[in-house]
Amino acid sequence: MNRILLVAKRDFRQIVATRGFKFTLLILPVMIGIVTLLTSFLRPPATSAYVMVDAGAGFAPVIEHRLDLDYQRQVLRDLSAYAARWNQKPPGDGWADDASVETFIARGGADAALKQMRLPSGAPAFKPPAPAYIRVPVLAGVPTDQGAAAFGRAMTPYLSGDVATPQGKRPLAVAAYVSVRGPARIWTSGRNANALIDTLQQERTRQLRLSLLAANGVEPAAAARIEGLEAPLAVTAPPAGGGRAQMTVRSLVPLALVYLLLMASFITGSMMLQGVVEERSNKLLEAVLACIEPRELMLGKLIGLGAVGLTILATWIGCALLAAYFIEGAMADYLRPSLAALNQPWMIPLMAFYFFCGYLILAMAFLTIGSLSNSMQDAQAYLMPVTMGTLVPVMLLVQTSVANPGSPLPVILSWIPIYTPFAMLARLGSGVQPWEIAGTGVLLIGFVTLELVLLGRVFRASLLSSGQHPGLGGFVKLMLRRD
Amino acid sequence: MTALVLDGVVKRFGDFTAVNDLSFQVAEGSVFGFLGGNGAGKTTSVRMMLDILRPDAGRIEILGRAPARANAPHVGFLPEERGLYRLMTVLDTVVYFGRLKGLSPADAARSATALIERLGLAQWAKTSLDKLSKGMSQKVQLATALVNRPRLLILDEPFSGLDPVNQGVLEEIVLEMARGGATVIFSTHVMQHAERLSDRLLLLAKGRKVFEGTQAQARAQLPPRLRLTARADPSLLPGVVRAITAGPVQEGWQEWEVTLAPGREPGDLLQHCTSNGFFLRGFDLHRPSLHDVFVHLVGGAR
Repeated sequence: MNRILLVAKRDFRQIVATRGFKFTLLILPVMIGIVTLLTSFLRPPATSAYVMVDAGAGFAPVIEHRLDLDYQRQVLRDLSAYAARWNQKPPGDGWADDASVETFIARGGADAALKQMRLPSGAPAFKPPAPAYIRVPVLAGVPTDQGAAAFGRAMTPYLSGDVATPQGKRPLAVAAYVSVRGPARIWTSGRNANALIDTLQQERTRQLRLSLLAANGVEPAAAARIEGLEAPLAVTAPPAGGGRAQMTVRSLVPLALVYLLLMASFITGSMMLQGVVEERSNKLLEAVLACIEPRELMLGKLIGLGAVGLTILATWIGCALLAAYFIEGAMADYLRPSLAALNQPWMIPLMAFYFFCGYLILAMAFLTIGSLSNSMQDAQAYLMPVTMGTLVPVMLLVQTSVANPGSPLPVILSWIPIYTPFAMLARLGSGVQPWEIAGTGVLLIGFVTLELVLLGRVFRASLLSSGQHPGLGGFVKLMLRRD
Repeated sequence: MTALVLDGVVKRFGDFTAVNDLSFQVAEGSVFGFLGGNGAGKTTSVRMMLDILRPDAGRIEILGRAPARANAPHVGFLPEERGLYRLMTVLDTVVYFGRLKGLSPADAARSATALIERLGLAQWAKTSLDKLSKGMSQKVQLATALVNRPRLLILDEPFSGLDPVNQGVLEEIVLEMARGGATVIFSTHVMQHAERLSDRLLLLAKGRKVFEGTQAQARAQLPPRLRLTARADPSLLPGVVRAITAGPVQEGWQEWEVTLAPGREPGDLLQHCTSNGFFLRGFDLHRPSLHDVFVHLVGGAR
């Protein structure tokens, strides 16, 4: 055991001292950091401005009211999700009709609803969403009394830029001119304007219908009731953070582990491969093998490189947790619920088991390839089938598991030992039957043991060999050779 | 006590027999030359002694035990094909091999430091091996073989790649080890080293032993060659197998290349000539070197 650990320690120390390792260690956190920063910098502002001239049509207050109703519906939806997350009674739901939203506003909106909640001490303050549109006054110098065409000509240059709003500079999405007669004229920058244009059209249509109903002798009050009629809907949906969303969030940790397993195994596997190829090409194996058994060398390498993989993982996971801690809401929105999936005591050991087995399967394959290759160029010929044979099914598996965890592919792959760790990790969050865990687990342990024995023989036999590489028949012979 | 025993050892790789019925013994404390041409089976034999390969037949005993990694604390090995971890420092490399051979961290560090000093590598102790010359790397590898103060030192072509000065240093180390009671087995193509170092030697050709014995016994394998300057034909003299004229010299004297029968001493022939009136003007004795013996025995086996 001492010699195994000596080999492990040497391999570990040699790899962590290289620049390549430090680069590998930092690449993922740095890339995620850069992408996060770029995304936040490049993301368009949530709120856009609009300018509206109401040339006697009385349309502007209607639009403002409609936009406010839609905004308050969004507030109500977010507030309901927030309340559910902190085990409070939700003030409403995302399918609330206009009347419910009006009631919500009349009762004091979010502020009043929050006052009625008994939030735990660690709960962060509720942050209402930003409104989608904010009306700004007509810009200085833009004529409003010379007709739509003059207004449009004067507004057009402003549409390519931002305008001042109470929230700061915001892109000007729409300039509208609504008169009593004729079409409502709209000029748009094309930026975030579609929803507002839809709202304008719907409200304008509503006005026209009301006018038509009135012209046909319908009482204005009755006409308003007819136009405001909404078919009642009874929507039953899981609470916010539950149902499908919960499934996805609960699968987050296991799915992340699939990717981490894949990346860690391939990175450390490549390092291991390079190490063995170097030892072979440097002709130093004979001196080493005079002191230790090939089996000890193999186990030492598996442990040493396993430690390298764990170091990479620990760093990446640590960085992710740190980032989540500092990114407001991420901890509460994703990490806490996803970590809640680990509340069953068997979950973490099971994940560790799949992770360990997955690492062993791939690491052993890389180690054997290294023992068969005199150079990295040699190794490429063996690497391609192993890489493609692993990556393609696992990528398909992850996609399928997110879309439909119960579909045949993840289930079938769970029973093929090479893919069992990936498939089971991907499926764990969505629930797997205990008999399936036991069955695939037994099969996996058997496979890993057999792989260690058979590929261990190839490793031992190939370490000091030179010349032509064995073909498939020769490879099988090496696996079956006991000495 | 014998440090190494090989008894009827056979090793095959498929249809090819690399070592065929090889038997010999090496006495403890001796320096043993293990000689043979390329592909003679030396490296395969050495790998079997170290348990890197297992024989198909026969028995090997190393320091009284079967070959196993458990012997590593008592064995030093310098392989023919050398290489080291490029990114490790000189000191770390030697310490690592010391630790692999069972030394404690402190003992390994102490022994490694002393060896590095002895081999003139002290100023490069903290230098990584990729920055050293080939010759210096060879010395580091030698240090890895010696770090555990082995009772049995196996050196496969130890002089290759070393300059004459360092070859001298290595010869000195080998003799020092032997004086300290260690057994040294080495293979070489340079017969001068074998002549200077080995108490006994073994010649291997095509996996078979073609000779084992002392240097004198090896030389006795080839008859001594004489060049005589005489008036008469020496072929009828006792002990002479063949005499070929090498051309006239002057005034009736002729030069003769004379071959003696194995075991016959040239001195006996000289005495016979002087006491029987066989006139000689020249008597030039040429004893066979190990090189001659090697070429004769190994070349003959090919």
